[in-house]
Amino acid sequence: MSKPTADWEKVGGRFYRKVKIYQDVFDQDLELENYIVEGAPYSGAVAIYRDEDKIHVYRGTQAAKSSIDIYSCAGKLIRRIDWDRGKIKALGWSEDEKLLVVTADGTVRCYYDLQGDFTPFTLGHGAQEHGVQSCRFWSTGFVALLGNNNLISVTKYDEPRPKLLAIPPEGPVSSWNLIPPAYTLSRSVEVLLAIGQTIHVVDASDSLDQGLQQGPFRHIGVSPNGKYVALYTDDGKVWVVSSDFQDRLSEYNSRAKTVPNHMEWCGNDAVALAWEDEVHLVGPNGAANQYFYNGAVHLLADIDGIRLLTNNLCEFLQRVPDVTENTFKFGSTSPAAVLVDAIEQLEQKSPKADENIQMIRSTLDEAVDACVKAAGHEFNIAVQKQLLKAASFGKSVLDLYNSDDFVDMTETLRVLNAVRFNEIGLPLSYEQYIRLTPERLIERLINRHEYLLALRVSDYLRLPTDRVYVHWASQKVRVSTEDEESICRLIVKRLDGKRGVSFEQIAKAAYDEGRATLATELLNYEPRAGKQVPLLLDMKEDTIALDKAIESGDTDLVYYVLLELRKKLPLASFFRTINTRPVATALVESSAMSQDRGLLKDLYYQDDRRLDGANLLVAEALDQEDPLTRIDKLKSAYKLLADSKENVNVLKAMDESQRLIKMQDGFEKDLGTGFSGLSVNEMIFKLIRTGNNKRALKVQSEFKVSDRTFWWTRLRALVAKRDWSELEEVAKHRKSPIGWEPFFNECLSAGNPRTAAVFIPKCSNLPVTDRIEMWVKCGQLVKAGEEALKAKDMNSLAELKQKATGTTVHEIDAMIRELAKGRRG
Amino acid sequence: MAPHALLDTAEISDKARRDLLQLLEGIRGKKNLVIERSLAGPVGLFVKFSTLQEYGVDRVFFLENDNVDASQKNIIFLARAEQAKQVISVAEQIKRLRRSSSTDHEFSIIWVPRRTLVSDQILEDTGVLGEASVSEYALHFIPVADDLLSLELDEAFGDLYLRKDPTSIFLAAKALMLLQQRHGLFPRIIGKGDNAKRLCDLLLRMRSEVTASEDSGSGSTSVLGLTPSTTLESLILIDREIDFPTVLMTQLTYEGLIDEVFNINSNATEVDSSVIGAVNTPQPTPGSHNSSSTQSPAPTAQPQTLKRKIPLDDKDTLYQTLRDSNFAIVGSLLNKVARRLQISYESRNTAKTTSELREFVNNLPGLQAEQASLNIHTSLTEEIMKHTRTDIFSRVLEVQQNFAAGADPATQNDAIDELINRAVPLATILRLLCLASSFGSGLRAKDLDLFRTAVLHAYGHQHLLTLSALEKSGLLTPRSSSALGIPAAGARHATHGTNYAAVRRSLHLFADEVNEADPNDIAYVFSGYAPLSVRLVQCIIQKQFLTQLRSTGGQGHGNRQASATAAAPSGQGWRGFEDAVKNVRGATFDEAQTGEDKAVRARHILNGSGANSEKTVIVFFLGGVCRAEIAALRFVSRKLAEEGKGKRILIATTGIITGDTVVGASVEERKFGNA
Repeated sequence: MSKPTADWEKVGGRFYRKVKIYQDVFDQDLELENYIVEGAPYSGAVAIYRDEDKIHVYRGTQAAKSSIDIYSCAGKLIRRIDWDRGKIKALGWSEDEKLLVVTADGTVRCYYDLQGDFTPFTLGHGAQEHGVQSCRFWSTGFVALLGNNNLISVTKYDEPRPKLLAIPPEGPVSSWNLIPPAYTLSRSVEVLLAIGQTIHVVDASDSLDQGLQQGPFRHIGVSPNGKYVALYTDDGKVWVVSSDFQDRLSEYNSRAKTVPNHMEWCGNDAVALAWEDEVHLVGPNGAANQYFYNGAVHLLADIDGIRLLTNNLCEFLQRVPDVTENTFKFGSTSPAAVLVDAIEQLEQKSPKADENIQMIRSTLDEAVDACVKAAGHEFNIAVQKQLLKAASFGKSVLDLYNSDDFVDMTETLRVLNAVRFNEIGLPLSYEQYIRLTPERLIERLINRHEYLLALRVSDYLRLPTDRVYVHWASQKVRVSTEDEESICRLIVKRLDGKRGVSFEQIAKAAYDEGRATLATELLNYEPRAGKQVPLLLDMKEDTIALDKAIESGDTDLVYYVLLELRKKLPLASFFRTINTRPVATALVESSAMSQDRGLLKDLYYQDDRRLDGANLLVAEALDQEDPLTRIDKLKSAYKLLADSKENVNVLKAMDESQRLIKMQDGFEKDLGTGFSGLSVNEMIFKLIRTGNNKRALKVQSEFKVSDRTFWWTRLRALVAKRDWSELEEVAKHRKSPIGWEPFFNECLSAGNPRTAAVFIPKCSNLPVTDRIEMWVKCGQLVKAGEEALKAKDMNSLAELKQKATGTTVHEIDAMIRELAKGRRG
Repeated sequence: MAPHALLDTAEISDKARRDLLQLLEGIRGKKNLVIERSLAGPVGLFVKFSTLQEYGVDRVFFLENDNVDASQKNIIFLARAEQAKQVISVAEQIKRLRRSSSTDHEFSIIWVPRRTLVSDQILEDTGVLGEASVSEYALHFIPVADDLLSLELDEAFGDLYLRKDPTSIFLAAKALMLLQQRHGLFPRIIGKGDNAKRLCDLLLRMRSEVTASEDSGSGSTSVLGLTPSTTLESLILIDREIDFPTVLMTQLTYEGLIDEVFNINSNATEVDSSVIGAVNTPQPTPGSHNSSSTQSPAPTAQPQTLKRKIPLDDKDTLYQTLRDSNFAIVGSLLNKVARRLQISYESRNTAKTTSELREFVNNLPGLQAEQASLNIHTSLTEEIMKHTRTDIFSRVLEVQQNFAAGADPATQNDAIDELINRAVPLATILRLLCLASSFGSGLRAKDLDLFRTAVLHAYGHQHLLTLSALEKSGLLTPRSSSALGIPAAGARHATHGTNYAAVRRSLHLFADEVNEADPNDIAYVFSGYAPLSVRLVQCIIQKQFLTQLRSTGGQGHGNRQASATAAAPSGQGWRGFEDAVKNVRGATFDEAQTGEDKAVRARHILNGSGANSEKTVIVFFLGGVCRAEIAALRFVSRKLAEEGKGKRILIATTGIITGDTVVGASVEERKFGNA
């Protein structure tokens, strides 16, 4: 077993290690130096594309056809995408392994599954006229630099919305880069543009000159945490500054005459420069180390290190993690180092093992933790084992130890080792794995069609497996050459009883592949009615789609289907489709009421719903401004119902309303405005109030208003007019259809007890006590007394006497005496 | 895999607040918020305007006003995506701003409670889909009080019964489903009414779909997530359609009357400042130190009104004691409180030692707050008294009581006719007519024609549409279906409505004697009429009480011994009341939801044997609930607590309504005229 420290190099006080991961990566004939190589984050796939600016060996017409090739890190070709779509200006990856291809005319293709399926979009904002020069990518988006120095940013790919950033100054851009939105203060992407001597920082709203003198800069690199920026000057120096350009942190002189091909950050505290076959690693304080290769080398930066890619090798360059350093550094006396030593002693059956343990007894739990962590950071399986063995040994000595971390780590390492295997080619470091999350790792496996492994990993880590099954089945549906029935049977058999499996997605895949019957068959296994709808619509199974939508109870879905059907079907068959489905009809009605009256009219006509049709016309009449068109609408409503015998009353009302409008029109001409829109009673009220009594009577007879109503209305109108003399005039009538009590009440509450009193004697049908009460309410106690006297009601008189003041006391006294006398006599 | 949490409404508020603020935080910088008017009140219940400001909201506009300006680069729209009208309005405003404003705006649309396909379609058709970033805010239930959840769907009643649009059923199912995912399956779903049945079916269907799509990511909704809950006892679904009269009657509880007279929106009512006094008087409630404008995000362009907003919520302890009381005793309750406060204040004169004095000073803020609250409620009560003392109010009440007691509707015709002639508000008349129709399974055709003419003459011929709409809703129908051949399904259906003559007896819906001060039955909320909806709930959870009531004819607790011998029905669901329930309109259902045995056992082990005994019964009113019913249910809940049944009632609904809302859904607002 080689020493774990064998590949360590010290760069300015810090250890760096270059781990060989894969050998014989690419075909020796592949001239890697002539290719653009881009790697997906978290040790993802590598896309290579021949750099068209470089001369290459002619290998016949076949090879001249350009293509984007997607490899795993181990050099296994995953997919070849033939390219004939114009000049590629940039290739890039998102963190979920979507490949972005940007062409000179501003067209972007987003390949979302490593298998050549893509969604296109365009950048706009003048990209077509000025041409895309280059792009820089971050985990979820990218920025494109146009020929006129304009910058366009895209922040997400599922709903891309290209946005123009602030306009930077003119001038040739010597280099540029960006700070991802997650690391900026403004939370918008910031672009660093090297123009002339200085650097401009451009965000969504501003372009700010940093006022530097040291330019022009040939490379700009931003550290993974967005805190530092490395600048490569024209004279071969590397400057590291803070990303707000306030602090200069270190400087390194490469003494190179030529500008390096790449400059990338390695973790957050070192910068790597790559020339053709030479790599410089610049650590803190300008210390550096150099590596040499015998072929072109490409740098693929990741969050915690750099993957170095040559024809022969795939290596991972990273700072040695602190726990690893403490454990393996020469002469380290950290507890972990002692524990590892102990296990070696133990293997040699030496008593020193126990000695070691006793030495670190007090910090043994730390040592175990450190060994577990260090094991995670190891790529070498033997070293992993050694460390875990050490941890296990240490653990066994401890009385109390929570083994969760240990168990988790062994599980994680099994998964990591499995995916690092050559065939899979995902050399994830532990930190990358934690950041990527197991769920997304499974996603990556699925995209590579490694279903078995994905399934095993899911089971092993207790993650849901439905996505794996669905993807497998969809793929099966796409590529299988068997007959549809047996495919269906196979899929259903395999997926039976599996939770959460979406048959809808599989059916969609089948439909997209042109296997409509298979799609229909698969769709029947989908338990969620709502999910089936969009596909059914696509498959032109309109009525089934509508039924399923209704079944799901989701009105949004029903509306959606209805909208589609409305667009697709001729009106008659649209109506035929909905009128057997009450929910659909109700929804059409309620939405059409506010948005599409015409449709509603047709619907009612078609279904012969005359009353509804007539009501609709009445509603339209209400919207009309002009009395004549209003009457016209009412007339047509009338006509619509005229044949039916059932709606006599409605017809009468429609007729009345026409006459009413006409009449109001006439009044407006004679008496001025204010009549339009009134009801019959309101009109009578207004006419009486304005003193047009004759006209009021005419309205009464025209609309056969009952006397009771008329009298009430007149009473209210006269009280409102405060026309007391007229009210007293009314009082001369012998009889009132509403009795006289309302007159009394209304006048009294209008604050006129005098007029109210006029009506008291007329309320002859009321009991005496009520009338006495009424007189009291009017403040006429004497009258009340007289009423009581007439009724010979001694009790009331006594009560009245209590209420009375001044001279009325005497008057009531007199009455009491009179009554008493009468009784005696 | 934690045991099911107790259902706590505060938790729902917290989540709603967190979610909203998170969405706002996601949009960097200052922003203007354009909010749909009907959402502003509910949102104000759990987020203060000052909090919104902390999250960068500069100004708030109402979507309906269409007046958002270009003062901020970020503009956020918060609206309901279910209604095409709102979506179109959002699209139009984005287009208007894009046209008129020179700034390059960032538009964000937050759809409540979810992003819909139709909204996407509309935005796409109007060409703004690419302009705005769209997100969704799953705001379903909004806690209005600690035992009351509302979806605050203002138009639910009209949608369900007039337009037959089942959107609110779906939204209700979604909301209930979320409760189930959090607290476990309702072990039983019991209910009454056709729409309620639909809701129940939808819940069962959604359950199977959720089980089917327990998809990736949400590891928490594992198999255990959908086992029968240990904290919920059952879900009772009541369809408004089965019991219209309860909402049509004038509510006689304090809160109910405030709602009838002034309207209550999102726990606050607006009263003319001449009634209560100007805003600068000491703040009414102890809990709210901020001026009323912070209670809800007030629109910036608020016109200077003389109205004053009065919060009416749980924080006001005095209000809590008053709100569910019959209005008749509110005066004396207020007097008692006033006297108590007086005594407390006077204690300072008797205070001899410094420590006594200090104690008095310490209590002073509480006393002052209580005094302020007392002043408010005294003024409110006086104002309502003005209303209830009028001749018209008592006439209306008299007619209602007669209907409720089972009088022949025809005997009340003259009274209603007079009210029409006296031009009382249309809603009052319509409520009476609908009441007559619902109680009597429709009006006699002759009467209906007479009233039709009277209403049209008195209030305008546009109400042809109103009356037709009421008929469609099943509120105002002719007694025999053959009289008018309306093809609408609802109208025909309504004639098979609830048979009140039968249930009045079997469920004892009317009590002649009601003790308002110390009620022994829910009938106190309407001073005689016991709401059918709540009686049905009692059929399920208070069987014994109801049986007693039936046998004693509501004569109180006097002969409890005798009634105990009358075998009280036991068992679950509708057991024992099947006959009575048969006379109520619509489908009757009782579904038990069980989980897989394995999961249930696991759940039992997790919860341990000493699982807490208090269980929650959720009563969901589809189509709305009125405050008198809430008061009645709280009364039932208190009674259950006294009996030590270990049950608590949580009321949930699509919205809180009054009779005016019910008939208002049908009223045609336009007139034949330009005035």
